Amino acid sequence: MRPLLRFSAANLALGYVAASLAALAVFATPLWFAWRSTIDARRGELLQEDERRLVDIFQARGADGLAAALDARVARSRTGGNYYVLADRDRRRMAGNLSAWPDGVPEQPGRYRVTVLANGEPRAAIAIHELLPGGYRLLVAGDDTSFQRMERLFWYGLAATAAAILALGAFAAWAIRREFLREVQRIQRTAAAIVAGDLSRRVESRGVADDLELLSRTVNGMLDRIQALVDGVRNVSNAIAHDLRTPLAELRSRLEELAMSRLPAGEAAAELESAVADVDRVIAIFNALLRLAEIDSGMRRSGFARVDLGRVAAETAEFYEPVAEEKGIALSCRAQAGLEVMGDSLLLAQALGNLVDNAIKYAPAESAVEIRGVRRAGLVELSVADRGPGIPDAEKPRVVERFYRGDRSRGAVPGMGLGLALVAGTARLHGGAFELSDHSPGLVATLRLPRADPAH
Amino acid sequence: MKVLLVEDSERVARFVKKGLAESGHTLDVAANGRDGLFLAASEAYDAIVMDRMLPGGVDGLSIVAALRQSGNEVPILILSALGEVDERIEGLKSGADDYLVKPFSFGELLARLEALVRRARERGSQTTLAVADLTMDLLSRKVARGGRAIALQPREFKLLEVLMRHANQVVTRTMLLEQVWDYHFDPRTNVVDVHVSKLRRKIDADAERPLLRTIRNAGYMLSSE
Repeated sequence: MRPLLRFSAANLALGYVAASLAALAVFATPLWFAWRSTIDARRGELLQEDERRLVDIFQARGADGLAAALDARVARSRTGGNYYVLADRDRRRMAGNLSAWPDGVPEQPGRYRVTVLANGEPRAAIAIHELLPGGYRLLVAGDDTSFQRMERLFWYGLAATAAAILALGAFAAWAIRREFLREVQRIQRTAAAIVAGDLSRRVESRGVADDLELLSRTVNGMLDRIQALVDGVRNVSNAIAHDLRTPLAELRSRLEELAMSRLPAGEAAAELESAVADVDRVIAIFNALLRLAEIDSGMRRSGFARVDLGRVAAETAEFYEPVAEEKGIALSCRAQAGLEVMGDSLLLAQALGNLVDNAIKYAPAESAVEIRGVRRAGLVELSVADRGPGIPDAEKPRVVERFYRGDRSRGAVPGMGLGLALVAGTARLHGGAFELSDHSPGLVATLRLPRADPAH
Repeated sequence: MKVLLVEDSERVARFVKKGLAESGHTLDVAANGRDGLFLAASEAYDAIVMDRMLPGGVDGLSIVAALRQSGNEVPILILSALGEVDERIEGLKSGADDYLVKPFSFGELLARLEALVRRARERGSQTTLAVADLTMDLLSRKVARGGRAIALQPREFKLLEVLMRHANQVVTRTMLLEQVWDYHFDPRTNVVDVHVSKLRRKIDADAERPLLRTIRNAGYMLSSE
């Protein structure tokens, strides 16, 4: 078991306990003072009144008269819980319900807290000490013991409340810690499995839509992305292994052969030129792979801007027009207005260019290739349709894979097998989709991209 | 043309030096950023070719920025293995005039250097261009060959303009893609060739001496000789 204090949620709970105790103290302190001063003042007033009456008796009937009155009161037990002592100038007791003038009463008249001995028991009391003419002294004291019991109760109550807060807080800290730790451990177990190499593991959902579930979902989303990237890297390495090795091997043998054979200068130069062309082919594949990796990484999103796909379509059509014309193909472009997306104009132009280039390559002479741009609900749809041989349904999902070259492309039509992968990657990067469908006969390649918000 | 190459790879330096010497140009080589900055500041060059990743972690772009800050306006071409679009934009923002990604062909480098030097010499606004008996009025957008008007599409006009501005120089397909269509990627087709043939049919039609020549393994040249 890990130490309780090293757990963040437990620390939080203990912090709340400390704050609650502080609040209790802030609440109790003024209450205590208000209570004390109010009660003290009222008791003082009552004692003062009593004492004044006794002084009146003294003034009317003298010391002996007062002594008699006090004795009569004590005899009739009408003391109301108060203590009275009348003493002469030597502080000898003359009358009252105390057996002697108490010790510790200051010389000067006034109100004091004193301890008196009543029936041999020490009692806390508030006393009024009065100096009477002729050096007599009168002490009227109110028992404070019952008040002190209340005071004790107040403190006990306060202490009990504090203890309850402490106990509850500690329990809450423990409970929260246990619950939280269980959740964290769930995520931790997944992370540990992934560290150990199992990238397919995900944090299980508890089916409760709370903050921890949100965290789990975010973690899972992150893991999906990481897995996609790892797969991407793996694909690229496979692709490099397969498709760069071949032209590199050709290049190598060409150069080696050239080194071995004693060719006349003219032929050697021609061979070297072919070798340079081989290198250019490798570089082109390499660049396409890098571009694909760049697209898949999602980095290009930071440079997104408003792009008018209608314009891109028109420019692409214009660019490929002479090539189509040479093959006797009618290349047309019909795009609605307002085909705006947030995107990377360079990648979008390249993607559409690849589609048009493919369409022209595969379309038979004297046929039509159509670029169409239409607005759908929240989407911009850009399609290129040709009347070529099309792609069998079984092959459609595979042609967008890197380096896949369908049966129809083997042979006469040159290519690298990266064009459609680049188009699909571009669609994904823009949060859209790429779809191939039949044009019977022919192929329709469609890019669907989220439409940009209307211009502000 | 006197060129400075700031490049730490001896092999690349030798290759460029040899190529430039064969075309009748001279080349100074600086193998690190400090020497490069010193030479660029003390000698008068027609153009500088700057590698980006130099010894000691120096980015060639910081040298370009330093030169531009000191008021040096010499045309600079960045030569770099960093080929992503953002890198290219960063390079041009630092004050360089052109950006060529490694690996490169010598033909491409030479064509771009000559274009840069030409552009630097002819700064200022021309309103007419002429190559032999071919004339172009940039204001009225009219083209004529030997006094006979030739009708061109806007993009053909732009294509011819780029070729005429670089008359008697090789213009590569990549340069045409960039300058005429603003395509900074390789469409892997012969589309540029088709556009050029179409243009050639219009300007060289029944002319005794064709002006637009194809330069093998390099590009095109509009030649008055």
